[in-house]
Amino acid sequence: MSSTLLQVGVVIPALTALRLGAHLAGASELLLHDQQLTTPLTSYSQLQEGLYLFNHGIDPYNGGTVRHSPLLLALFSSILPSSRDVAATLWALCDAIAAWALVQTWRARQNVSSSSRDGLVAAMYLLNPYIFLPTLALSTSSLENALLLLAVMFASQKKAAASLLSLAFLSHLSPNALLLLPPLVLILLTNPHSHLASPQKISFNAKKVAPLAAEFLLYTGVLTAASTLVAGSWRWIPQTWGTWFTLPDLTPNVGLWWYFFTEMFDHFRSFFLVVFSIHLLIYVAPLCIKFQHDPLYALFLLTGIIGAFKSYPTLADPGLFLSMTSIFPETFPYLRFPIVTSLLHLHSALLLPLFHHLWLTQGTGNANFYYASTLVFACSNGAAILDALWAGMRIAIGKDVDGYAVDQE
Amino acid sequence: MLPLTLFHYLLVALLGTFVRSSATQEDAARQFFARNGTSSHTNNWAVLVCTSRYWFNYRHMANALSMYRTIKRLGIPDSNIILMLADDASCNARNKFPGAVYANPGKHLDLYGENVEVDYRGRVEPSVSRSKRLLSDENSNIFIFMTGHGGNDFLKFQDNEEISSHDIADAFEQMYQKKRYNEIFFMVDTCQANSLYSQLYSPNILATGSSKVGENSYSHSSDKDLGVAVIDAYTHSVLEFLEGINKTSHATLQDLFGSIDPAKINSHPGVRSDLFQRPLDNTLITDFFGGVSQVEVADVAADDELEAEPEQQAFIPPHRQDPLLSC
Amino acid sequence: MDEGPPPAGRSWKNTLQKLRGRFKPEKNAAEVRVRRRRAMIQKLHQRLPFLKVLLFLVGYLWMVAIPYPDLGRTTYIDENALQPAQVSTYWDWADVHNADRYLDDLERLGDRNASSAELSEFVKTEFQKSGLPAATQKYTFSVGSTNVTGVNAYAVSSSPRASGNEAIVISASWIRRHEGGPTELNLRGVSAILALAKYLKGHSMWAKDLVFVVSDGYLDGMQAWLGSYHGSKQNNLQAEELLYASGVIWNALSIDYACHSFSHLGVFHEGLNGRLPNQDLINSFERISRFTGGVPVVLYDHAKNVVRHVGYQGPGRPSGIHGLFHPYRIDAFTIYAVCAQGPHGFHALGRVVESTLRTMNNLLERLHASFFFYILTDATYFNKIGSYLPSAILVSVGMMFHGLDIWVMSGWRLEEQPSEKVSSSSQERGWVSRQRPVLHALTIMMATHILGALVFGSLSLDNWQTLAPILFAVVAVVPLAALLLRSRHHSETAPVSTVLKALNLCFASTIISVISVLNFSLALLLAIALGIPLAISTPSSRLVQYPAYILLAAGWLLFLPEQTQSALWNWEVLSVWFAPVAAVVTLLPM
Repeated sequence: MSSTLLQVGVVIPALTALRLGAHLAGASELLLHDQQLTTPLTSYSQLQEGLYLFNHGIDPYNGGTVRHSPLLLALFSSILPSSRDVAATLWALCDAIAAWALVQTWRARQNVSSSSRDGLVAAMYLLNPYIFLPTLALSTSSLENALLLLAVMFASQKKAAASLLSLAFLSHLSPNALLLLPPLVLILLTNPHSHLASPQKISFNAKKVAPLAAEFLLYTGVLTAASTLVAGSWRWIPQTWGTWFTLPDLTPNVGLWWYFFTEMFDHFRSFFLVVFSIHLLIYVAPLCIKFQHDPLYALFLLTGIIGAFKSYPTLADPGLFLSMTSIFPETFPYLRFPIVTSLLHLHSALLLPLFHHLWLTQGTGNANFYYASTLVFACSNGAAILDALWAGMRIAIGKDVDGYAVDQE
Repeated sequence: MLPLTLFHYLLVALLGTFVRSSATQEDAARQFFARNGTSSHTNNWAVLVCTSRYWFNYRHMANALSMYRTIKRLGIPDSNIILMLADDASCNARNKFPGAVYANPGKHLDLYGENVEVDYRGRVEPSVSRSKRLLSDENSNIFIFMTGHGGNDFLKFQDNEEISSHDIADAFEQMYQKKRYNEIFFMVDTCQANSLYSQLYSPNILATGSSKVGENSYSHSSDKDLGVAVIDAYTHSVLEFLEGINKTSHATLQDLFGSIDPAKINSHPGVRSDLFQRPLDNTLITDFFGGVSQVEVADVAADDELEAEPEQQAFIPPHRQDPLLSC
Repeated sequence: MDEGPPPAGRSWKNTLQKLRGRFKPEKNAAEVRVRRRRAMIQKLHQRLPFLKVLLFLVGYLWMVAIPYPDLGRTTYIDENALQPAQVSTYWDWADVHNADRYLDDLERLGDRNASSAELSEFVKTEFQKSGLPAATQKYTFSVGSTNVTGVNAYAVSSSPRASGNEAIVISASWIRRHEGGPTELNLRGVSAILALAKYLKGHSMWAKDLVFVVSDGYLDGMQAWLGSYHGSKQNNLQAEELLYASGVIWNALSIDYACHSFSHLGVFHEGLNGRLPNQDLINSFERISRFTGGVPVVLYDHAKNVVRHVGYQGPGRPSGIHGLFHPYRIDAFTIYAVCAQGPHGFHALGRVVESTLRTMNNLLERLHASFFFYILTDATYFNKIGSYLPSAILVSVGMMFHGLDIWVMSGWRLEEQPSEKVSSSSQERGWVSRQRPVLHALTIMMATHILGALVFGSLSLDNWQTLAPILFAVVAVVPLAALLLRSRHHSETAPVSTVLKALNLCFASTIISVISVLNFSLALLLAIALGIPLAISTPSSRLVQYPAYILLAAGWLLFLPEQTQSALWNWEVLSVWFAPVAAVVTLLPM
């Protein structure tokens, strides 16, 4: 019974339908402006605002509200209608595609055409509340997640062009994704199979890196040119990409940046903006080197780090990391403190909406309450990343042996 | 950015842009005015600052306004007074008596009723007019009065920024180096007020505060119709004494300090006179509170021109706040 | 040290050596660390049982200690702007006479059982006679198969010199607050509102608009009025739009005054879903009443009572119509005239209200966030958050430790090793790790929550009386049925019941600590209801235990009909989430 229930062909349509049902029941209305699910860069209402201006011949990047890519505006205004119901369908489909891509990645990693775990992998993605709720709130971070998983899937299937195009489009929407290029290229050059248990030095043809990088640059250039054509000027760049690094909009979100920069004295601001932005770079090389034998795992860890530390995260970003754990079941027995991490996540998942409510709805708390809950959330994300990191390395040593202990140097 | 604007607030007011060169003949003047006390000043200025906003700080505005009324009565003209009120209590919607500010529970005297010239209500703009600047010179005696909410070594400005005792000391030193005063009498009414003059280091400054470090300053009385306290105890005591003074009075600052009873005001006022050159019992109250017109005696043989007080000529129509119109 | 300080050169070298030793120990550093860590864990593990008991014990004792004044402190005013009891009041015997006249009229209307429409029309007309813009508002709640209808009357007195962006509401409901007992008309409260409206309008110092509301019914009228005022939608409510509006309501007070005279003024402050108003407001009122009105203030209507507070706050029901203001971020409380043979009446009440309004009028900004977390043990005594919160948190931490302990233990199994010597078998036993059926346990937890949701979803005001026994039977039987389905337990995996218990404890602990910030009383009740029972639950099928748990989980269906009904009413009419939460969260059998 459970095997038929857990088949991909059942899980994905059923859970996609569940999303549509929730939308029709009015969940979107309720969640559309929730600051934990959308940020100024991913919010649906701001996308609508941009579309309105765009369709009426007003430069949407003149004011300070629209921070979506011109390509999204063009896509929604010319190809796709912007009705709320159609959008909900589209977002649900995006999640379905993302889940399907995750399943495909899992299959490619196992080198099988189908497995009994497929349905579970899809369900882990589609049932994750951190993924589910932003989709209902029509946050464009759902689209970003789908793009990321597509890029990973194509890379696992050795479809370099498709993979790089997906990543180029993703980093066009959210420049942080650029950090994922090195592990993605490594997957393309080696293979996505699990080598965590038997680490070895990587061997690949280094000459192939340059063409791939060039191809990526080409796609990025084309997308940038297309955006400029659509927007009519270069003004979209500071309004979209620039926002990620200069943080002009301090609307609260689940990340760590907004409160820090609210409290910051002006003359330190630029310094810390640089520190916060550059800080993300330092993880790429160590992770790619340490996990050179399994670049997919390096990419997975980087996704978690970006999700925890990006400037405008929604719940979907850490959610993607959590859901991606489902394709690495071999690490589960080696996770360091899984119960502690789960409980931390349980706490933060309850505290975030609660303190948000206390601060902004009920008025009995203040911003510090919500900030405290984002700190708990950051801790739980950090704990999850550390767990995964530990497990990824620990697995190589094998099972516990009596009288021996594994220690971290 | 924060400290800079704060600094401007005081400095622009205190320093101004006016630089005046004059050949003083101190000896002649000193001899001439010896019978009027020992001060050698020829003009008087006053800076009265209420640093608090909001309705419940009514009393701070009343403190400054009562002091304003007194020094005007004793002869310092509006042109020589810089009055800073952080808020407009008279026009507050909660004021049961619109357009009036009272400093006593019986509401006998409307401090706002007469000609009140408030120079500053909010921030200082770069192009502030000359009538709002402290155009003092090396013969000026300056009375500086500050009231508001403060603490150890600081005074809150408009619930937003703070001025520290170091800021004040440095501002006075700058004035000293630029020869912008003859003597300064610095009076503060706030909690732990005595800490505010602790850092002063420039000569010829006499300072007094309403309470010791660690002590609060208290309000004196509140009006049951207004629903707020109308004046602070220390300022009230000072004013009580000054009410008995007129322009020709020979009362000294020693008398003033002696008249304040710590038991009555619930705090211990302090006086700092180590920087001050003259004995307090030889310093007339009117040296600071009064606009006793003293003139410089120019050497007629050397120079025919008799210098009058230039400030009076540089009179610019005051920025007058008409209470009835503005409420 | 005994030999005195060593020469400087040597001590320097020593320090260097020590430092070097710290960074490059001669022994294997990793080994040292592992040993140290193991020793620490061992120590912790040895003391865990004691620690757990201690946590529970201290937590529960702390709860018992909350009402004692030694734990709290006297109230004080935090906000400078309030300036309570600083004004002279001008409410006079002439105004008292006005109030008496209104009362005569109202009593006449009451005697001939006038309809809601008539009553509200009268109030509206009287407001208008005083020169205020006034209107009425009709509303209908459809609750189950019955409809609750009524008519509110209200008037807006604009601030003479301010912009009218902010407002204060003074309100009275037709029916005075009651707890299940017979309803009583709040005639004096309403006449006080009418007289106050006439009187307060004549003053010039209002920086905020004054809105006078006489709401119909007990809670329903105000719920409808506030909903319309703030433009919020409620599916089962049909209400007319308001003709007159004002600014953002910051504060509200409601008057509950039914008997001829009163000896004390009581304060009721608990709002919907356990929100409390800012304590400064209550403290100000207490001082004003004492100093300006000469009326002593009590908490509620008779005595200090933390139990009563928990009774209101825990289930999230409002202790008066003031509670309905709270969801809109309005700090409100009810002034309750405690019936007595004198000595106070309209005269004192009017003065206290006038002065309280002056204090509210003084507010320049929202009251400070730190003053929303308190437990009043008396009108002048309160517990700060730090002196009551730890009680529930300690129990919650104890549960968490217990849960984690069970979790760790469930991953291991004592296995007898094939050994030669039988005598020292205990020495030969070894710990063997085993798998934990987490997914299985989570499924059961999920199923119980869904069961809870279903039970709650199927209940409504119409059918709860018939459905309750059936549902109780279902809830009682389902776990038994589940027992039959339970697969056989393998020795390689931990028993499901152990893992389930561990996860349940951890989950319940999380719920308690999270809710304690939102609604402390509820957290307290949960800590009492879940703490020990979950901690001592065992998978054994002893005859006594099972019914006890079932009773705890679902007994409310059978044995607390009144509470069930009022919780349902509150949910349907006022969106109080106690009922669904109780149903969904606490149904954790086995």
